[in-house]
Amino acid sequence: MSAHPNSPALQIEALQAGYEPGLLIVRGASLTVQSNEIFAILGPNGAGKSSLVKAVAGLVPISGGRNLLAGRDITRTPAHQMVFQGLAFVPQTENVFVNLSVAENLELAAAVMKADRRERLDPVYAMFPDLHRQRKLPAGQLSGGQRQMLAVARALIARPSLLILDEPSAGLSPKLVDQVFAKLREVRDSGVTVLLVEQNVKAALALADRAAVLVEGRERIVATSAELLGDARIAELYLGRHTGRQASKETT
Amino acid sequence: MLQIIADGLIIGSVVSLGAIGLSMTLSIVRFSNFSHGELLGWGAYLALMASTGLTALNAGLAAPIGPFSFGWGLLIALVVSAGLTALLALGLDTVLFKRLRKQGAITLVIASFGAALALRNLLLFWQGGVPRYYTQNLQIAIPLLPRSVWGGLRVTPDQLFVLTLTLVTVTGLHLFLSRSTLGRSMRATAINPGLARVTGIDPERVLRATWLIGGVLAAVAGVFAGITVQLRPTMGVDLLLPLFAAVILGGIGSIWGAVLGGLIVGLAESASVTVVGAEYRSAAAFAVLIAILMVRPTGLFGEKR
Repeated sequence: MSAHPNSPALQIEALQAGYEPGLLIVRGASLTVQSNEIFAILGPNGAGKSSLVKAVAGLVPISGGRNLLAGRDITRTPAHQMVFQGLAFVPQTENVFVNLSVAENLELAAAVMKADRRERLDPVYAMFPDLHRQRKLPAGQLSGGQRQMLAVARALIARPSLLILDEPSAGLSPKLVDQVFAKLREVRDSGVTVLLVEQNVKAALALADRAAVLVEGRERIVATSAELLGDARIAELYLGRHTGRQASKETT
Repeated sequence: MLQIIADGLIIGSVVSLGAIGLSMTLSIVRFSNFSHGELLGWGAYLALMASTGLTALNAGLAAPIGPFSFGWGLLIALVVSAGLTALLALGLDTVLFKRLRKQGAITLVIASFGAALALRNLLLFWQGGVPRYYTQNLQIAIPLLPRSVWGGLRVTPDQLFVLTLTLVTVTGLHLFLSRSTLGRSMRATAINPGLARVTGIDPERVLRATWLIGGVLAAVAGVFAGITVQLRPTMGVDLLLPLFAAVILGGIGSIWGAVLGGLIVGLAESASVTVVGAEYRSAAAFAVLIAILMVRPTGLFGEKR
């Protein structure tokens, strides 16, 4: 697994991807996520943020470019083999098996890895004591916040080097967003690189070390969170005035 | 009264086993497989062929076991047929359904109509239209209760065998789905195929397992129908609508739902024979189906998706 100790956690190189052939959503995006950082992907609606991370996870067909996970090429790796390469993905919605109990959700993830159940579950339960308390409950009966925690816990069972989350704050109250993000910081401190897509810019920049702003399927700005917080272009992008023509139209 | 219930449970056993496989294809492969009934017919006839072959090799295998009408030959033939029918189901997926999966559910449904026609007519061509039996031995029903108690109850040892083995099969399947990794992977894929993939579950492996298990259960159901009624090349298509009724009644994707749905369909059919006449059997099953769906649109055990 440590064949390339000095490689970045993830390199996305000129990636092109989309569900339909000839209809690209990701249009030549390039990003480098350093090992052990929290990296946020921001951008206006329809910028291709979700599609970008889904393409990395093998869920959206890739038509050009490549992805390297710790130096290894995972561009053509099928989605169901990503966990074995060290990449775990948490979808935005429907990210737990609602018909299985909390424990069964986690046990299944461990069993798929052919790993010892106790050895994998115990550290995760230690990190998420609330889930241990509710382990017999069907996952469909968990609250929104706990459901998101279970989705993260399920992904961590695979012991990934890179954890990718698609809008972990979606549908959560600000208080719960704080709790989930605090947990993501803990995850990073345990040695996992975190890449997340976010609509909630303020919360994301407070959490992330660095961030990229994606526009029309390509990265527009890549900078540290501190730099981005003071960047006037951010507000501009979120108001949709990201092309010169549109901007001039609105001023006249 | 009791006799109606007992007869209903026997019909219900066959319908339940067939319905489980149909329900699994519906929830995991995600289309209504109208050729599933034919797997029951093929399972029954493959067992007949295997049994005939085995008893030709060793006549002792035809000797009835204890009170039953059949010998060891049929039990071994049941296992052989289960294996062959499972391969038939998997083969059908490989040559037909797998290639059409990207085209969507409607294409698959139409293809399954075609597959059903082909399978049924191959069976008719191969075996002829005359009804067949596994054995010529007659069985005397054992009176369990005298006529004075609710009309009395008489069952044959074969019927008790069918009921018992159905219970064992369903319990075994339940343990497989709730305890084993592959079983849990199948339930996970049924409820959320996308999440199953990112969890590391190979979707093709789950689909293969679904076809194989559906084929095994269909063969067992077909042999049970052959033991308790008779073998006809049209037995698959005759059972198809009751199978769908059972699946919808129980709630798509639920094993115990399919079992309960199968038993209700069986009871409705058996009750209708005495109440409104045998020709309205299928109608009775659908009347019950409509009544239950009006109260519970997702079926008895239906999960919200």
